[in-house]
Amino acid sequence: MVAEKLNKRWVSLSKTSLDIAAAYQFLQTPAAGGIALFIGTTRQWTDGRETTLLTYESYEPMALREMHLMIDMAARRWPISRACILHRLGEVPLAEASVLVGVATAHRPEAFEACRFLIDRLKVQVPIWKQEHLTDGQAHWIEGNEPPETTVT
Amino acid sequence: MVSFQIQLYSVLRSKLAAASVNLEAHDGVSAGEVLDALCNHYPLMAPYRNIMRLAVNQEYVLESRIIHTGDELALITPVSGG
Repeated sequence: MVAEKLNKRWVSLSKTSLDIAAAYQFLQTPAAGGIALFIGTTRQWTDGRETTLLTYESYEPMALREMHLMIDMAARRWPISRACILHRLGEVPLAEASVLVGVATAHRPEAFEACRFLIDRLKVQVPIWKQEHLTDGQAHWIEGNEPPETTVT
Repeated sequence: MVSFQIQLYSVLRSKLAAASVNLEAHDGVSAGEVLDALCNHYPLMAPYRNIMRLAVNQEYVLESRIIHTGDELALITPVSGG
C-alpha cells in the first residue's frame, strides 16, 4: 500500500547547504495539486540568549532509518505522492536551513497535515542533536523535551 | 559474561568524553538491565535514566527487549534535531 501511494521519496543527511530548489523540483509531479515545504533555520535569539552558530550531530544510519519509518507512517495516513526529508549536519550559520520537510499531495489539506506530522515527529524521534554556540563563547547541547517512542518488539 | 559496546552521542558523549563505553554483562541481558548497569557504572548517566532509550540495531526498544552478542547498541537521550 505504501509503495503504491508513495512512489517517490528522498531522505538525506548532508554536511553542505540544503538545496531547496532541488527539493522543490523533486516534489513536482502532475499527481499533486499542492506542495507543502517546511524549512527550519538557525535563529539568533532564544529566551534572551544570542546564538552565533548551531552544530548538529547524528547517529546517521539510525536517523535515516527513522526518517524512512516516518514517511511510511505518513503515507499510511495521507495519500502522499512524494515526500522528502533533508537534514544538514555539522555547522549551520544564522538564518541558514538546517532541515527541510516537503510533501506533495493531490489536495492542500493533506500536504499541510503530513508536512506538520513529519517535522513534529522528526523533533522527537530522529537521533539528531543540536549544540548551541553563544556569543560568550560557550556551547551547550540542546536536550529535547520527551524521549522517543519505542517500538513494540 | 560478554562485553557489550554502547555508542554515545550528544550530551552523554560530551559528559563522558567518550564516543562509546563498554559493559560486561551476560548474554540475554534485557535493555532495562543494561540501562541500570550503565547508570551504576557511570553516575553521570544517572540523571538521564528515565529519559534515555537504548537503541538496538538502530531501533528504539522496550526495556524488556533481550540483548545478544553482536547487537549494535546506542544510548539515545531526547533528540533536538530540526
